Amino acid sequence: MKDVYILGIESSCDETSASIVRNGTDEIATVILSQIDIHTNFGGVVPEIASRHHVKNITMVIEECLNKANMKMTDIDAIAVTYGPGLIGSLLVGLEAAKTLSFIYNKPLIPVHHIAGHIYANNLVKTMEYPLIALVVSGGHTDLVYMEDEYQFRHIGGTLDDAVGECYDKVARVIGVGYPGGPVIDKMATEGKHSYQLPMPLDDDSYNFSFSGLKSAVINLVHNEEQRGNIINKEDLATSFQDVVVDIITKKTIRALKEFKTSRLILAGGVAANQGLRAKLSTVCAENNIDCSFPPIKYCTDNAAMIATAGYFLYKQGKFSGLELNAKSSVELK
Amino acid sequence: MKILYLDTSSSFLYCAIVKDNVLIGELKLKLEKDLSTLALSEINNLFIVTSTTPDDIDKILVVNGPGSFTGIRIGLTIAKTYAWGLNKKISTISSLEAMAVSCVESFDYYIPIIDARRGYVYAGIYDKDYNQILSNQYIKLDVLQATLDNLPGTYTFISNDSFDNLGNIQRYDPDFLKIVAKYNDKEEVNPHGIDALYLKLTEAEEKQGEVQNA
Repeated sequence: MKDVYILGIESSCDETSASIVRNGTDEIATVILSQIDIHTNFGGVVPEIASRHHVKNITMVIEECLNKANMKMTDIDAIAVTYGPGLIGSLLVGLEAAKTLSFIYNKPLIPVHHIAGHIYANNLVKTMEYPLIALVVSGGHTDLVYMEDEYQFRHIGGTLDDAVGECYDKVARVIGVGYPGGPVIDKMATEGKHSYQLPMPLDDDSYNFSFSGLKSAVINLVHNEEQRGNIINKEDLATSFQDVVVDIITKKTIRALKEFKTSRLILAGGVAANQGLRAKLSTVCAENNIDCSFPPIKYCTDNAAMIATAGYFLYKQGKFSGLELNAKSSVELK
Repeated sequence: MKILYLDTSSSFLYCAIVKDNVLIGELKLKLEKDLSTLALSEINNLFIVTSTTPDDIDKILVVNGPGSFTGIRIGLTIAKTYAWGLNKKISTISSLEAMAVSCVESFDYYIPIIDARRGYVYAGIYDKDYNQILSNQYIKLDVLQATLDNLPGTYTFISNDSFDNLGNIQRYDPDFLKIVAKYNDKEEVNPHGIDALYLKLTEAEEKQGEVQNA
């Protein structure tokens, strides 16, 4: 069978990325231009600034990717692009570039859901087997997804308010340790002890999450301690916070695996790089004979390789889009 | 020589194909929020009805702003990806230049203006030969008006936006042949280097500047 080369384009937040993946498994070349240094100055991603940088960089990123792969656009079978969810202005740049390439080269255009991309990043490491539960944790998402078969998604739960990564960023800001909060708090959590009492968020029978109450509890705790003239032990607070987050995510994930009678778990999204979460899930999965797949850190954060990979499975099904494809800031995973 | 002209800096899709100074196809569509959805499919339709293939185009002339930030990025991304992908020549012009050149009536000065909200406009002043007298800028409308007292001659505003008490305003309707004829020979640029002409910082950058200056 002829090899299929998909060019993936991702620009849903603050990374401009292009990648070429063969047959949904082999990453040929990936280029990621991150804007993190720019947005760090503002304490978080500024959507308009992100969009401005995407438009500056998009063609350079695609060209560099092709050069790295030593390929030409004519060697590409289809163009896969993130159409949502994400920052609308950012999404539009990648989308218009992909649509234009589809138009001028007469190549199929494949619309990829950003979360499907995160999930399929795992296929670059090991061929995914079904059924499985996917835990998607990032700056914009905290989702549990059941996949009975290839490219079949059933969203069984998600955050009702802040995404877990967003909560990390806000807590990091409150305790004054900078942006992005996830890696900083994760590291600090290894140096402290669980000495602060924080509420377990939305500890119910659903597969939903809620982190705004936990965030408020941290803010109140810091405020109250400051008013009493006490100095916060930031490492201890990071440990206490991370323990609660990791506990509730692990608890609901394991319950989902049991209820849906599958012993396969895959982790996806930027917060999948969190060492505390990985360690806890590894331990609990080992205790429950669950095959747990953690993608390498480079596939956890936003990248176009995951979009090209997910795009391959849509290519196989002939699920293409016309040039009227639009970006969507919010869209259900189906 | 076939030239593709593209301007999505407002709520309109303005697009034309000009071959050897003859307009062979044009689009003047008020797409508003559907601009991102429909721009490329409408361009594709234009190519079909004019029997043009993407490779037939020799040069792209694209408007890089000022105007709607999102709108500018849609057209600019299409144009720079097209030019880079098929190795086509590309030049940029400002929306204000296109507006000045398109004015039907003759005046000594043309003042294209775009509403930038909160009392500000994007504007420039052009003389009758379309030389810039006041550079394109983000300016308070009353400040712009004050500078007009010194203009020796007749002038008109050109805009598709509504302004109170502004006097003579000509509605903007792009004259593709005039625009392309005027700017056809404009210096070509590397598609990678093309960027938008926003004329305005983002609010986050403005606030950061205020804090730094305080």
